[in-house]
Amino acid sequence: MILGRAAPFTPLLIITLRTIAIVALAMVALFPLYWMLVIALTPTGLGRQVMTFFPTTPTLENFVTLFADRPMARWIWNSILVATLASAISLAFGTTCGYALSRLRFRGANLLLIAVLTTQMMPATSIIVPLYMLFRAWGLLDTMQGMVVGHISLVVPLAIWMSKGFFDSIPTDLESAARIDGCTHAGAFFHVALPLAVPGLAAIFIYGFVTSWHDFLFSRTLVTSQELWTAANGIASFRGEYFTLQELQMAASLVFAIPVVVVFFVMQRWIVSGALSGSIR
Amino acid sequence: MTSVKHAFRRSSAISVLFDGPAFPFIMILPALLMLGFVIGLPMLEAVRLSFDSIALRRPAAAGTYGVHNYLRLVADPKAYAALGFSALYMVGTVIGSVGMALTAALLTRRVIWFSGLARVAFLLPWTVPAVVTALIWGVMYDGNFGVINRLLDFVPFIDGQNWLIERQTALPALIVAQVWNEFPVAYIFFLAGLKAIPDELYEAARIDRANAFQQFRHITLPHLRFIIAVIVILLMIMGFKSFPIIFILTGGGPAGATETLTVLTYNAAFRSLDFSYAATLGILAVLASAMLVLGYLRLLPRTGHGDVM
Repeated sequence: MILGRAAPFTPLLIITLRTIAIVALAMVALFPLYWMLVIALTPTGLGRQVMTFFPTTPTLENFVTLFADRPMARWIWNSILVATLASAISLAFGTTCGYALSRLRFRGANLLLIAVLTTQMMPATSIIVPLYMLFRAWGLLDTMQGMVVGHISLVVPLAIWMSKGFFDSIPTDLESAARIDGCTHAGAFFHVALPLAVPGLAAIFIYGFVTSWHDFLFSRTLVTSQELWTAANGIASFRGEYFTLQELQMAASLVFAIPVVVVFFVMQRWIVSGALSGSIR
Repeated sequence: MTSVKHAFRRSSAISVLFDGPAFPFIMILPALLMLGFVIGLPMLEAVRLSFDSIALRRPAAAGTYGVHNYLRLVADPKAYAALGFSALYMVGTVIGSVGMALTAALLTRRVIWFSGLARVAFLLPWTVPAVVTALIWGVMYDGNFGVINRLLDFVPFIDGQNWLIERQTALPALIVAQVWNEFPVAYIFFLAGLKAIPDELYEAARIDRANAFQQFRHITLPHLRFIIAVIVILLMIMGFKSFPIIFILTGGGPAGATETLTVLTYNAAFRSLDFSYAATLGILAVLASAMLVLGYLRLLPRTGHGDVM
C-alpha cells in the first residue's frame, strides 16, 4: 500500500504519480458537471457547434428563456410544495415507529424492520402500477394531493429506518432517569427523547425532501397536466421536446441540481454518516 | 402493592396505553396505518390486478380472474430478456462502481493537502439527481457532436459512436452514466473501512518487506471484505431499482436492448396499457428485491466485526 503520513520516506516519484492519478480521476468525476455548465452558458441552438472545451461566448439567455417561456418557476414551486408536505407528513408518521423499533422490544419488530427495508428498496415501478389504478378509481390522478400521497410511499420507509438509526445513537440514560422519576414511557419519549432528536429529525426531513425532489416516476405517471408537473418531470420533458436544444436542457438541469448540491455542502458531514448507517436514497 | 404504585401515577388506563405492554403498538400504529395506506393497499391491489385481466386492448376481458398472467410471464421471452438486462446492468454497475470507488478511496485515504478537495470531487456526482444525470450524459453521448465523440478523436483507433442508438453500445453507455452517479456511495463506505485498518499492520508488513501489492492482498482486502460484500448488495439493489437514467436516455430501446425489468414494467403498463401484466411483472420485481434485502440483512451485522478478525 502507498503510504503518505505513516511513511515519511515515500519517494517523491510515488507522491507525484499518486497526485496525477487523483487529479485524473477527479477530472473524470467532475467533467460531466463542468460540461453541463459549459453547454448551459452557450447561446441557444449552438450547443452542438461548440468546438472548444470552454464557453467562448458565455450568455445567460438560456436561463431567461427557461423562466420566461417555460413554466419552470411553477414546476419548482410544485416540487417545493410536494417535497415539503411529503417529507413533513412522513416524518410525523414515521418518528414514533422509529423510536419504538429502537427502544422497545415487541413481537414482530424484526418482521416490521424487514418489511420497511424491503419497501424502501423495491423498485418504484412495482408500486406505481397498482397506485395508478387505485388513484384512477379514487379520482386522485392529476392532483397535487395524489402526488403527495405517492411521494409519502417513497419517504415513509426512509423516515422510519433513519429515525430508528438516529434514536439508536442517543444514549438511553436520560430516558431511564425520567422513568425512575415516575415519567411514563410516552412522557419519556415526548419530553426527553424527542427534543434530543430534533437535529436528527431536521436532517431526516431534508433527506426526505431531497428524495421527493429527485423523484421522476411518480410525477411522470400520476400527473398529466403540465402545470402540476414537478421540476424533475419538467426538465426530463426537455429531452423529448428540445432534443436538439441541448443548452436549454443543461440550463434546466443546472437550476434543478443546484439546491441539492448546496444542501449537500451544508450537511456534508451528516449525509456521509447517514449513508454509512445503511440508509441509501 | 401494585395498586399503591398505580395511585401515584395517573389513571391505570392511561398507564396501560402509555406505559404498559400496549405502548409499543401505540407508537407504531401511525406508521403502520400510513404504510398500509400508501404501500400495503397498493401491494394488495397489485396482487388482485395480477390475477385480473385489466388491459385497454381487451376491455371485455376485465373481471376474468385466473393465473393467466403468471402463465404468460413464465413463457414470455421479453420477461427473461428483461431479467437478463437487469442482471447485466447490475453486474456492470457493481464492477464499475466498486472499481472506481476502491481506486479513489485507496488514493485519497491518507491526509494530503488537497485530499479534502479530492473527496468533495468524488462525492459530488452523488448529489446530482438521476434525471439530471440522464440529461447530462444524453448531451455528452450525442452521436454527431457529443463531447465524448470529440474527446475520442484524440484517441487513436477508437471511433466515435452513436452511443445510445447502437445495440452494442447502449447498455454499456447507460451503465457508465449510472456508475458516475452512484460510485460515491461505495467510496464513502470504502473510505470508512480503510480508516478502520490499524496502521501498525502496514508497518509490520513493511518490516517484513512486503511490497505494496502484497500489503493490499493480505491486509487491505481481507479487512474490507465484509464492507465490499455489503456494498455489492447495496449497488445491486440500486442497479435493480434504476429507472430514470434508462427510461430518459433510451426508454428501453434500441429495439428493447436496454429494457430492464423496471422499464419493462413501466412500458407494459403505460405504453402497452396492459395493467394486469405490468402488476405481475411488478410482483416479480418485489420478490427479487426482497431476496436482495435478505442478503443485505444477513451481511449487515457482520460488518462491525470485519475489522476485528
